[in-house]
This record gives sequence, C-alpha cells and structure tokens, in this order.
Amino acid sequence: MKTRTCRYIFILLLISLLCPVAWGQNRKNSKPKEKAPLLSGIGVGIDLCGLVMKAAGAKFANMEISGRVGLKEKFFPIFEMGIGDCTRYGGETTNVFSTRAPYWRIGMDYNVNKKLNGNRFLVGVRYGFSSYKYDFSCPDFTDPVYGTVRPLELEGLKGNNQWLEFCIGFETRLWSIVRLGYNIRYKMQTLQSYSELGTPYYVPGYGRNDDTAFGGTVNLTFDIGKTARNKNQKSLFGKRKNREKEPQEDVKPAEESPRAAKRRGERKGEVKAADTSTEKK
Amino acid sequence: MKNRKKVHILLCLTALIGVNGCDTIDCTLNNTVVMTCDFYQDGKAVQLNDTLTVTANNPDVVLVNRKLNASKLALSLSYFNEVDTLLFNVSGKDYKLTDTLWIEKTSYNHFESPDCPVNMFHHIIQVQSTHLFIDSVTITRGEVDFYEDENLQIHFYPAAD
Repeated sequence: MKTRTCRYIFILLLISLLCPVAWGQNRKNSKPKEKAPLLSGIGVGIDLCGLVMKAAGAKFANMEISGRVGLKEKFFPIFEMGIGDCTRYGGETTNVFSTRAPYWRIGMDYNVNKKLNGNRFLVGVRYGFSSYKYDFSCPDFTDPVYGTVRPLELEGLKGNNQWLEFCIGFETRLWSIVRLGYNIRYKMQTLQSYSELGTPYYVPGYGRNDDTAFGGTVNLTFDIGKTARNKNQKSLFGKRKNREKEPQEDVKPAEESPRAAKRRGERKGEVKAADTSTEKK
Repeated sequence: MKNRKKVHILLCLTALIGVNGCDTIDCTLNNTVVMTCDFYQDGKAVQLNDTLTVTANNPDVVLVNRKLNASKLALSLSYFNEVDTLLFNVSGKDYKLTDTLWIEKTSYNHFESPDCPVNMFHHIIQVQSTHLFIDSVTITRGEVDFYEDENLQIHFYPAAD
C-alpha cells in the first residue's frame, strides 16, 4: 500500500515537473524568452509556521531559517536549519515526552514558472537529518500486578533520523526584497535509530515519528539579487517604481462640455473666441 | 488579478493554521507482557489434570487461582524485583505439593508514545526450582515482551508405569 502511494506521488511530481515544460514549448514562438542571470539572487528566510505553532502552544514546533541561492531563476539550492522542540503530555496517562534538538536539511527547488514576474511555483526535494536526545518520564509508574510504584525518569536517550522530503510550493514578492511563500511537504523516513527503551514521539525537523508524514512551512524570505529586484516584477504591496514610460498613443482630447466651460469663468472668453473663429471658417 | 492575490494570502494563512493538523493515538493492542510456560512430561507437551495455583512470594500475589487442566501458563513478572519467587501449588484428591521457582531477571522499560502505558520487558537470566513434582526447567526464550512465545519449559517427572 505504501509503495503504491509513493509511486503515485512520484508520478504526480513527474507530471508537475514535465507539464510546464511542455506548455513552455507551445508558447515558444509567441513571446520573446526572458533571460535571468546565472546568479539570480541570494535569499534568507524564516519559517513563520513554526513560530506561530510555538506561540500557540502546539505540542511540537520546528523553528527554522533557510538560505538559498537562485541560479537562472530556475534552480534554488537550499539549506535549512532549525531547532525542533516538543513537550508532549500523555492524554490519559501521566507520561511526559520531551526533546529539543537541531536539525538540518539540504535540497533543491525548481521554479516551474517560466515568466519572471515575481511569482515562483516551486517543486523540490530535501534530505533532512537530525541527531538528538530525548527524555521520557512517568511520575507514577506502577507495577499493575505486584502493586509497587516507582517514578520513571529516562533522560538523554539517543536518537538518529534521516528522511526525504518532496515539496510543492508557491511564493510571491510582497514588497521590495520581501517574499512570502508556502509549501507542502511529503516526508519519508530513510534511516532511523533510537534507544531500545522506547520510540521517540517526535523527531526534530520531521515531526511525529511515523514512517511517512505531511508537513509544511510558510516562509518569509528576503531575496537579494538582480532578478529579485527586477523592475518589471509585480509586488503584492507597494507601487512599481522606475517603471518604464510606455509610449503614449495619439488620443484626441474629449470635447469640453458647456457645463465645464461655465465653471471656469476665466476661460469663458477664450472659449467664445474659439467658437467665433470656427464659425468664421 | 486582485482576487488571485487574495486567494494567495488566504492560502498562506490556511497553511499556517492547517499544518498543526490531525493527531491520532496508535498504541499496541497486544500490550500485556507475560512469561509463557509450557508443561512437558517425557519430552511431550502435557496437560496437568490436578488443580494448579501459582502465587508470588514477595509481595504475596495470586497469579493463577485453582486452574484445572492447565497445559500452559502466562505469568506476569514483577517490574522491580531482581529475582521473582513463584510458588506452584498442585493439589489432587489426597495430596498437595508445592514447588518453588526462582526466576532471576533484568527488567527494562518500554514505551511507544506518551499516550500509551509504559511497559516493562524482562530478560530471564537464570531459573532454579525445588523438585517435588518439577523435574527441570528450561529457558527457551529469554526475552519476555509482547510476543507470547514460549519462554520456559517446565518438565514434570516421568509418569510411573
């Protein structure tokens, strides 16, 4: 079942990668191709989602920053690092799981959008890894048959996880160098090792410790570079500065209505004079 | 065009809220940890026709109460004792015999999720017994965990011809 699901996701990703290329082929002759420089920008971003989750008191949160390089406005090699934080209390037990550890991801995004209009439709892959320690405690750990009670405190259990992420996302230019985007991620564990005493509930950077998981980020990115400041790009807020002046077409001025002429008393005589000159002709 | 931008902002906000989505609890259904003992006589699995009661010595706990026609037992081991002392009482019409089993073990915790109860797994190191009706005890699988496979073979004295 899992392999089938993975296969479908691969096919979908493949289609999403190939289709825009095909569309681009059809439009090739209709418009001149826009060119971006090889090093089209450097971006530094922060994930708002993790911060909001932390502020809202969520069970776990990944607080991360990212750095990326834009190549030809198509390829974006990216490095993400953050701190995963989780304190989870058992719903019907007195158990407490907690961990706080760093994690890293490296990967690449591909911009499917052919136009340099400030919007990017990104598909990408990440490889994430985290080495962490986790604690587990149960204050009233009871032997159900023999009836003895002894608090359980397990600290510094070691875990190691590596995983693969497939991302689809969209981002747009908000204002100047500020960009806002979101992406959805499908995660698959590739390697995991942890203490034989127990499974970690949460893996920093990955989320809840299942074989597969869904996640997402909302990124606020500061993009510096030539393409990032392209004058023709549209920003969501703020005016387009330095826009090239479009050639004005020869448009005849509309004839002035008599009411408007009345309002402007000082020009009254001129208007009359003009009228008389036309009558004479 | 303006609508598209609004949709984009709306999607951003939805993603922000929606990422902290569903949560499920997946606890193991078979979460009892018991030591499984099978009875043997003359090298074959047998059924004990007498009444069997098994009690633990420290603290006094009845693990099996007056069981008839037992061919196997599932016994809980203590979480914190290094050695468990189990008393096997066999009673028939005109007799009552008690054998003692000392099970030396190490125990270690096992947890799966904060939402699930913590279990204790055991590793049996050594088993000793008195020999009124028990001839010998063999450890077939030292690990006592969720799997209810045979851990001990309790051999009775050969049947009198």
